[in-house]
Amino acid sequence: MTVPRGPQPFPGQEKRLRLLAFVRQDSIVRVDKRVEDTAMVWPHLLVIEFIAAMVWALGLFVVAALFNAPLMDRANVDRTPNPSKAPWYFLNLQELLLHMNAALAGVIVPTAWIVFMMTIPYIDRSREGVGVWFTSQKGKTVAVFSAVYSTVLTVGLVAADFFLKKAGYAEWATAHLPGGKLIIPDVVIPVLVMLILPVVLVVLLKRLYQANTREWMIGVWTGFLATYVVLTFIGTSMRGPGMDLFAPWALPPTHD
Amino acid sequence: MLEVPAQVWQKVKTNYIWRSLFRHGYPDSRKNQSLAVFTNVFLHLHPVKVRRHALAIPYTWCMGGLSFFLFLVLTLTGTLLMFYYHPVSAAVPGADDAYQDIKDLETVVIFGQFLRNMHRWAAHGMVITVFLHMIRVFYTGSYKPPREFNWVVGTLLFVVTLVLSYTGYLLPWDQLAIWAVTVGMNMVGATPFVGDEVRFLFLGGFEVGGNALLRFYVLHCVALPVIAGFLMAIHFWRIRKDGGISGPL
Ligand code: HEM
Repeated sequence: MTVPRGPQPFPGQEKRLRLLAFVRQDSIVRVDKRVEDTAMVWPHLLVIEFIAAMVWALGLFVVAALFNAPLMDRANVDRTPNPSKAPWYFLNLQELLLHMNAALAGVIVPTAWIVFMMTIPYIDRSREGVGVWFTSQKGKTVAVFSAVYSTVLTVGLVAADFFLKKAGYAEWATAHLPGGKLIIPDVVIPVLVMLILPVVLVVLLKRLYQANTREWMIGVWTGFLATYVVLTFIGTSMRGPGMDLFAPWALPPTHD
Repeated sequence: MLEVPAQVWQKVKTNYIWRSLFRHGYPDSRKNQSLAVFTNVFLHLHPVKVRRHALAIPYTWCMGGLSFFLFLVLTLTGTLLMFYYHPVSAAVPGADDAYQDIKDLETVVIFGQFLRNMHRWAAHGMVITVFLHMIRVFYTGSYKPPREFNWVVGTLLFVVTLVLSYTGYLLPWDQLAIWAVTVGMNMVGATPFVGDEVRFLFLGGFEVGGNALLRFYVLHCVALPVIAGFLMAIHFWRIRKDGGISGPL
């Protein structure tokens, strides 16, 4: 056995290896890895972060100096404000509540949405278009189409509900439908609407644009986004006393 | 003239104490710039280098970073508010309670109103920035492999952000607060099968009262910030482990 030159290891420690780093294979063999594509974090990224933080801190100071946080009368369980509203980011759900069963609007729909959100990356698994806004020109078209589709339908549904209620639909349903108002108008119809409309959207996108998974996912997500924004807007600035519908510029103030 | 400050600076930098703090020279060389980032506990969340693409503001809008910034602002202002706030609902109307603490903040405490405003607006701001961040992550396809799990963590962060904001909404103990929370809790109460139990669990009673205030306070000031902190740690760690910010292949 030849003894290697240089300082000798202690007996028993001759073959100790130390793991200094894991290097993923593709980072060694990737041919298109360009070194010049990178920038040092100090200073390039840190400067941006610093400026962003300062601008926002200043902006926040200005807003906090100009506008006071609201504070109403002391809490009183015997005086119910009309209307009582949740914080604005939940008003979309409160708006849903006006159109369907409470468990559906307040619990099942948001839970289903969160579960759907988490499954998105496991459904749309291609890496196509990553890092590019809307993936492609077609992605943009799909997004615009879905935004219009969902906005029109959501506004239409809220309006239809408004006119039907005015025409005495609730009373008619209670008197004539099996289970009264509680089953078909409050559960069956909303569930069908919420399931069928997105499916129709996907089918349309596939027919009109030959959408692949990423593209129809953009469509469905944009549809959610548009619906969320529209419902939040209606809930925030178009619902007055009794949660009745008003024009945003003619919204009566809240009273007891 | 300039030798004097230069000499002082030199003295400071070679001083024993300074060198125990900073183990690198001024970051004007690549080596020192790298050392500055990874020998600093706050900066080491970053890699030493990033893809140029990741620096483009139209790509990220900085929204993730700004959400984190607002979270820090909220932690700071929230801690200061905690010095003045008791989560108490008075049995006798007019006695000292949480509402009175807020009134005192606005009228007695120096900069109290400003502090409260900062906390309030930063909270609304964070809901918005997190939402915009989610929008940018979705439309840039940044949830695609290998970032699937970080998207899931992000979804949880979104939920936690909303619940944090919602629990804080009750604390001023004014009409806006209790009725908004009553509306939300009635929705929770509609949960199939266990609705009443879940509602009771949150409120510590059948309506929004003193117990609910205490529960919301503990959730808002301790439990949820800790959960959010853990999730953010995972979120940031995963960004690094998934190869940094996404970019075109
Ligand atoms: C408290 C809330 C959150 C904070 C503080 C936060 C923070 C961050 C930061 C600082 C980044 C780095 C890139 C950037 O600034 O855009 C990032 C990336 C990311 N975030 Fe978030 N985030 C939050 C919520 C979310 C949500 C709600 C989602 C999605 C549902 C999400 C999904 C992701 C993903 C997938 C990435 C990797 C993006 C990429 O590689 O381009 N995060 N987050």
